[in-house]
Amino acid sequence: MKFKHIWTVFKKELTDIIRDRKTLMTSILAPLILMPILLLFVGGSSEQMAREMTENITVALTTESNTPEARAFLEEKLAKQNPDIIIVDAVSDPWQAIQDKKAKLVVELDKDFEAKLASAQPIKMRVLYDRSLTRSSGAVSTLQETVNALNQAIAVERVTALGLDPQILTPVITEPENIARSGDGNLFMMMTLPMLIAMLVSIGGIPAATDLVAGEKERMTLEPLLTTRAGKMSILMGKYLTINVFSFASVLSTLAGMLLAFIIKPSSFSLGQGQLGGFALDPLALVLSLIITLLLGMTFSGVQLALSTYARSFKEGQTYLSLLTFVVMIPAYATMAVMSNEVQLYMFLIPILNTISAFKMILGGVVNYTGLFAAIASSVVYVFLTLALASWMFNKEKYMFRS
Amino acid sequence: MIELKQLVKKFDKALAVDNISFTVNKGEILGLLGENGAGKTTTLRMLATMLTPTSGTALMAGVDIVKDPIKARSRVGILFGGESGLYDRLTVAENIRYFGELNDIPLDVIKERTKKLADIFDMNDYLDKRAGKLSKGMRQKASFARAIIHDPDILLLDEPTSGMDVSAIRDVQDFIMTLKNQGKTVLFSSHTMSEVEKLCDRIAVIHKGKLVAIGTLDQLKQEHGTDNMDELFVKLVGGKS
Ligand SMILES: Nc1ncnc2c1ncn2[C@@H]1O[C@H](COP(=O)(O)OP(=O)(O)O)[C@@H](O)[C@H]1O
Ligand SMILES: [Mg+2]
Repeated sequence: MKFKHIWTVFKKELTDIIRDRKTLMTSILAPLILMPILLLFVGGSSEQMAREMTENITVALTTESNTPEARAFLEEKLAKQNPDIIIVDAVSDPWQAIQDKKAKLVVELDKDFEAKLASAQPIKMRVLYDRSLTRSSGAVSTLQETVNALNQAIAVERVTALGLDPQILTPVITEPENIARSGDGNLFMMMTLPMLIAMLVSIGGIPAATDLVAGEKERMTLEPLLTTRAGKMSILMGKYLTINVFSFASVLSTLAGMLLAFIIKPSSFSLGQGQLGGFALDPLALVLSLIITLLLGMTFSGVQLALSTYARSFKEGQTYLSLLTFVVMIPAYATMAVMSNEVQLYMFLIPILNTISAFKMILGGVVNYTGLFAAIASSVVYVFLTLALASWMFNKEKYMFRS
Repeated sequence: MIELKQLVKKFDKALAVDNISFTVNKGEILGLLGENGAGKTTTLRMLATMLTPTSGTALMAGVDIVKDPIKARSRVGILFGGESGLYDRLTVAENIRYFGELNDIPLDVIKERTKKLADIFDMNDYLDKRAGKLSKGMRQKASFARAIIHDPDILLLDEPTSGMDVSAIRDVQDFIMTLKNQGKTVLFSSHTMSEVEKLCDRIAVIHKGKLVAIGTLDQLKQEHGTDNMDELFVKLVGGKS
């Protein structure tokens, strides 16, 4: 094995692939462009959804209960208290009205509500909503809160009228205080970002890997290549490095794409679901996690190289390597909802899960050094094993010359 | 000079090359004739050090392919199959240079030789064009140049004309004559007698991995008492199957 030969092969492969627009598009340009679009779109629409639930709550009366008194009651007691509540024209078909966005909620008041109110009897307000529509079901709680405030105000009035201290109405005062280390908005990032990084670094090298051995076999360039003074191992290492570069490049371009989205609109990162923050920006943990990612990329580059060598033809190589994509996706999706505090130690020992776990912890504001170091130690073993597998295949006449 | 010494290659079950020994003299063109599956490609792959012989060995310009495969490689240029085997996205010059570099030829020497080869094969117009954009004939010539950029003593050509049209075959034949004029030793395989007959100084016929005959065309004709090429070939490989 000679460094000079490795470098020559590496340079050539890089030039070759970079000139291939298809590979370049799929592994580098696509994430760079698609990520911002995706994030801005998904982020924008979920932000919109959140707004739909708290803002512009249109409330209509049913035609049966639509009396001037009822309207006045709603205007006075609800709309005035909460400017987000808007009383609109009465509707005869509540379901249709909600579908047609004429109202988010439809309410019905007791006919004799004024009398009941005057005699301190409870009045009933039926609230019709459509649970299948977020804008309608979400609006219920906003209305509920306003009604609660109204109840409280009336109760205070009544108790005061009786000459009692209104404090007796609230025997227990709760004071919730958020002490989460991470912001509300981290949830989405914790679910997607680690998964994305682990998946991309594991599959980013696939287009390159397919071309580099299976493709070369098919084009009949492998035989002259193997007859040069560059030994098999130099050729293998040159190709291995190239695959690695593409594994990492696809992660980098995805992260760059996300950064772009963040610059365009910071809230797109959390899908508008609150603040980001409270990451464990512990430099050591971050460096260790990046090393784990790097080792994962190397592990899968080795696997890809082995599969591409095993394949008889370019087509066959594509088939094996797309199967690999599924193998990667299964653990990645399976652990999507795992939160940083639910990460188990064994997860650090499994490729893909190790990278996902490391980043989930960072995003969740917790760091487990035992896990991180265990991940690195095991990953180094995986890198050697997969590279050994690839070079064993590469040296095996049975797989290299399968004509 | 190429010396095959009791060369054997066994795959899982099949004995692809069965104890073959013969010599190709320096500056000689020897045709390796045999039907499909006779063991031609396997023999040439062993000589090119891609496959390791199960037993036996060969000397390529004096270098043992088993003991020193890397050194043996620098003595050998190959052209396997009818396809040109170039990287489509590299230019002709880059293709040639890649193989030169991997054969440890200094860059300035590569440049100089590329120029010379471009003149010989009339490639100056498209030296800097991507191989994928060229016609079949142009690619063919580029692959000739690639095969000899390291100035090997020996050329191994495996069915270099298979699947080619008449003019491409003519180009290959010209290439082989160019090699002969440069004093190179050429071993090329074919499954058609007529092609071998035209170019070769001597012919070796293999059948089911065994060497069944070797000699000049006249010697073979005399030995088997026939003037008809096809009949000769059938006589050599037939009967024994
Ligand atoms: N890589 C291989 N693995 C197993 N058997 C092979 C391999 N390569 C060739 N063979 C077998 O060896 C025999 C000779 O093949 P080959 O050298 O390709 O013949 P030819 O080039 O004369 O057509 C055939 O029977 C073929 O099936
Ligand atoms: Mg053959």
